Amino acid sequence: MFKPFEKISRQNLVIMVVLQVLLTLAVWQASPIGLIPQPLTIIRALGHLFTTRLLLDNLLVSLLLTLQALIYSVVATLLCTYLSVIPFFRPLAQFIVKCRYLTLTGLIFIFTLLTKDGSQLKLSLLIFGIVPFFTTSLLSVIMRINKQEFELCQTLGYNRWQTLYEVIIVGKADQVFEIVRQNFAIAWMMITMVEGLSMSEGGIGALLIKYNKYNDLTNVLALQLIIFWIGLCFDYLLGALRNWLFPYTKL
Amino acid sequence: MTAYTKKETLLQATNVSLNYGDKCILRDVNFSIQDIIRPGMQQGQVVSLIGRSGVGKTQLFRILSGLQKPGSGSITIRERKPVENSNGSIEVYRERKVEPGDMGVIFQNYYQFRWRTVGQSLLLAARQNKMLAGKEEDAIQRYTDQFDLSDTLRQYPQQLSGGQQQRVSIIQQLLKGSDFLLLDEPFSGLDVCVLDKVVELLLQVSLSDELKTLIIVSHDIATAAAISDTVFILGRKPGQPGSTIVKEIDLIERDLAWKSNVREERAFIDTIREIKECL
Repeated sequence: MFKPFEKISRQNLVIMVVLQVLLTLAVWQASPIGLIPQPLTIIRALGHLFTTRLLLDNLLVSLLLTLQALIYSVVATLLCTYLSVIPFFRPLAQFIVKCRYLTLTGLIFIFTLLTKDGSQLKLSLLIFGIVPFFTTSLLSVIMRINKQEFELCQTLGYNRWQTLYEVIIVGKADQVFEIVRQNFAIAWMMITMVEGLSMSEGGIGALLIKYNKYNDLTNVLALQLIIFWIGLCFDYLLGALRNWLFPYTKL
Repeated sequence: MTAYTKKETLLQATNVSLNYGDKCILRDVNFSIQDIIRPGMQQGQVVSLIGRSGVGKTQLFRILSGLQKPGSGSITIRERKPVENSNGSIEVYRERKVEPGDMGVIFQNYYQFRWRTVGQSLLLAARQNKMLAGKEEDAIQRYTDQFDLSDTLRQYPQQLSGGQQQRVSIIQQLLKGSDFLLLDEPFSGLDVCVLDKVVELLLQVSLSDELKTLIIVSHDIATAAAISDTVFILGRKPGQPGSTIVKEIDLIERDLAWKSNVREERAFIDTIREIKECL
């Protein structure tokens, strides 16, 4: 267990992780650090949050917004990336990739002017924040395509559109799922930020800002724990969905 | 000696040259493959292109397949095309420069789409062949039965053995319907039992159609020569840059073609020695 590259069984791995988590929590519980609440206090706050509709309502708002943003972002990313193999559209894709370096904070006012209401503002900011990261990842997948995939298409007499369909659209569909899975964290991280821009509609980000404002650190950490768990659940779900839809990825 | 005649030229390489920067890889490569007629039987052509490692075999392979353009010179093939007329379907022939897709290409690592099952890959190839329109499934069934692959149709390439992958690649290119089949090192890395099966399979393919032409690029001299009717040796001439065809050996003339036990014949052993001396 302490040797480099040592392989351990899944069961041993689970036991090891559980023990490490329990040990960390025990140390944390036994040695309070200033104002930072202890694990048991956070768990109690979590239990209380679950008994109120407040958490569920806000969570649903955030989840719906994230899913909506993800769907639009995936569609926009796929369109840009597939078109990037056509030289005319390549600069557009390259520009989107470079947009990773733009900060959303500096663009909020422009987006406010361009959108009708808070809901649209949040959605458009999320999409603008996610698409450059998705596009960067998917473009790198396309750049790394094995030359033999194209050559096999050529030897089979495919025209260029058939090659695009077979090698990039069908052949890389599993990678699209993997990219969404890997980049979901970005969307989930941004949701708390954009929800602070229009708090009237609620959302877990708005709730977090509210608790932060009153220095309610126990509830802030309880919410963080929920955000963390939902992120992990989505990660697992998207992974399972990928394995189910594209069984060859497991081989 | 077996009776035979050589008719039309099926493939002609004319002054093919290739340079990478200042480095000459191939120089004035000239050879032709002719249609061999054997009375009373359907006999395709099996040609071997033999050369040492690093002599430019892969580059010539890619040029022959149309995947790479030569620096100068050309590869011309005789194309057969079915044409509908009032009396039904007839075949017309024309000569033209090779293009990607003209040759059935079997790469050394038998590359297949990893996201397609064997059945899907074969169906995609069959759909490219207009002669099989509406009969794709039957053709796939026939070939997979013949090549002992019926049980693998629902499997992905990653689940197949090397030998199975090679057979899938061959069937895929046969279904596509090309008269030419170009094989890059088909005997490399195979154990003795599989090697015999591959040899048998290639002979089977060569007998499937009068115009079926197998071009084997290999450094396994004995195996390649044993199933070929002609051997072209790619090598370097002293004092000249780049590789070219240094010798053509007509195995039919030497009565060494189409024989199952040819490896045991004295003349064959001498021929192999002669080839080695040219390399």
